[in-house]
Amino acid sequence: MNRYPILKIVITHLISRKRQTIVSMLGVTFGITVFIFQAGVITGLQDFFIEKTINSTAHIQIYQDKNQKSPPVLLSIYDEEQTWVSVPNIKSKNELPKLKRGLQIVEILESYPEVTGVSPSLSTQAIFKIGVADVSGIINGVNIRKENRLFNLENDMVSGSIIRLESVNNGIILGSGLAESMGAILNDNITVVSPGGVALQMKVVGILETGLRELDNSRAYSSIRNTQKLMNVTGNYITNINIKLEDVDQSGVLAREFQSRFGYTAEDWKDANEGIFSVFRVQNIVTYLVIISILLVSGFGIFNILSMMIYEKMNDIAILKSIGYTDVDVRNVFLLEALIIGFLGGLLGLVIGFVISWITSIIPTNIEGFVSSEYLSINFDPLFYLLAFLFGLVATGIAGYLPAKKASKIDPINIIRSQ
Amino acid sequence: MLKEINLTVRSGEFAAIVGPSGSGKSTLLYVLSSLDREYEGEVIFGDVELKTLSNRKLARLRNRSIGFIFQFHYLLADFTALDNVMLPGLKLGELPHEELEEKAMQKLDLLGIADQATKRVNKLSGGQQQRVSIARALINEPQIIFCDEPTGNLDSKNALIVYDMLKNLTREFDQTILMVTHDDSYLSEIDRQIQLLDGRILDR
Repeated sequence: MNRYPILKIVITHLISRKRQTIVSMLGVTFGITVFIFQAGVITGLQDFFIEKTINSTAHIQIYQDKNQKSPPVLLSIYDEEQTWVSVPNIKSKNELPKLKRGLQIVEILESYPEVTGVSPSLSTQAIFKIGVADVSGIINGVNIRKENRLFNLENDMVSGSIIRLESVNNGIILGSGLAESMGAILNDNITVVSPGGVALQMKVVGILETGLRELDNSRAYSSIRNTQKLMNVTGNYITNINIKLEDVDQSGVLAREFQSRFGYTAEDWKDANEGIFSVFRVQNIVTYLVIISILLVSGFGIFNILSMMIYEKMNDIAILKSIGYTDVDVRNVFLLEALIIGFLGGLLGLVIGFVISWITSIIPTNIEGFVSSEYLSINFDPLFYLLAFLFGLVATGIAGYLPAKKASKIDPINIIRSQ
Repeated sequence: MLKEINLTVRSGEFAAIVGPSGSGKSTLLYVLSSLDREYEGEVIFGDVELKTLSNRKLARLRNRSIGFIFQFHYLLADFTALDNVMLPGLKLGELPHEELEEKAMQKLDLLGIADQATKRVNKLSGGQQQRVSIARALINEPQIIFCDEPTGNLDSKNALIVYDMLKNLTREFDQTILMVTHDDSYLSEIDRQIQLLDGRILDR
């Protein structure tokens, strides 16, 4: 007999009823495994997406919002309180989305210490043609060196090189999806037609794959000069300024500052990707609901098994009480049994969860969703493991406490008398 | 069920409550031994009234001052004989582990089953199990041992052994014992018989 009779009783109970112990342990194990795996996959995917997004979109983007409609001039004459002004069908003025003094703004931005890179660009819709195939997309006119500093395009090149955009006169870099859908390969000559009707012969000098499907399917890069030709505008015409920051978390604050300083819309990357983040939020809610319901089910399992155990161990309870064990001692026996089931089941769940996550992370999946990636990127954040483990313990603790409390209230006389 | 009971058991006494079944013997024993507390009147153990005790203090009292021997041996089936004997001592926690184990062995030896100490109790015979429960009742040196039909479930040979041992405890160790029995074949050497009929003590 060891020094702690309660523990000895607990262990003897658990061992003498191996099957129930294992079944209820596996309930917890299953819950924790799903928790680890699901949280790992979902947040891994989200983190992967966020990282890709941060790498391939600007932290802050400055542009002129073309849809800003000016209020009707009548309003400045009549007081709105007393006169009902109705001007239907307001249209925006025919104004080019040009950033005036754009290149000066770039210089000012470059002097901010928080800013690590600034890339001016202009972009337009365009039709890309090769032979009879034509595909619509967006062509970005950029200074490729500056753009590369922001987005590390060099790493995403699947063929060709970014430098050839400077050395080849009418060079163009295509997104991989775009190139594929028009059937273009490196060094092909293609025709690019702008909405204004300007057509330009261009040579494919590179193909680029960022992993973000939407971008890869529509985006092409060319020099600022060539894009200006396509849009039929002058040499200082730019429509966008992309900014990369030292610290991404400052993007919101600085975006507001730039907006008020330069008078153009400055949008940080979270606003630009708002849709995705709300999808993530819904995803997280669903994930947690699934996890909680699984833990609830394993909690009920433990509750049932312990309740049955108490009926079977009535004699033991009566004996313990008649030889001087207190209500609390009896409660602790059953509570401890639940916690040991939770502890061991949880530990096993962590291990299995980790192994399944790890196996999943090394099997090539070649996902082609809105993010394409060769492997599932899985989050192995230790915080999940800690959280899952604590959840498991709390759930089993609660599930065990109720029957344990009931056991502690059993009066030995009722059992002894009934014999 | 019990009526007009006025009973005092003195230290060192070997007393037996006897009577036909249904006379209230067991009920009286349960009331006196702190198990049944739904009685009217007073049960004074030492100098405390049992109803005034909290569950916690009651457990302490049972642990330290009361030993139980039931008809159905009431041992923890998955534990060894030695474990069962040590259980109340571990709860009391007054002796170091090694000394307690030694003391438990002494008690088993006293009852002649030291050689069964490491066997699981469900591997022992009925007579041996009852002797284990006597050893368990003795381990904390209680003021009184309550026996509820201790020989009721044993054959006559084993019943005699158990009965001799109880008698031995009262004679040599001055142990106070209050026993319920309907078996009057061994009653000759008992200090005092309390006759119960229809819930009343018969005067003799």
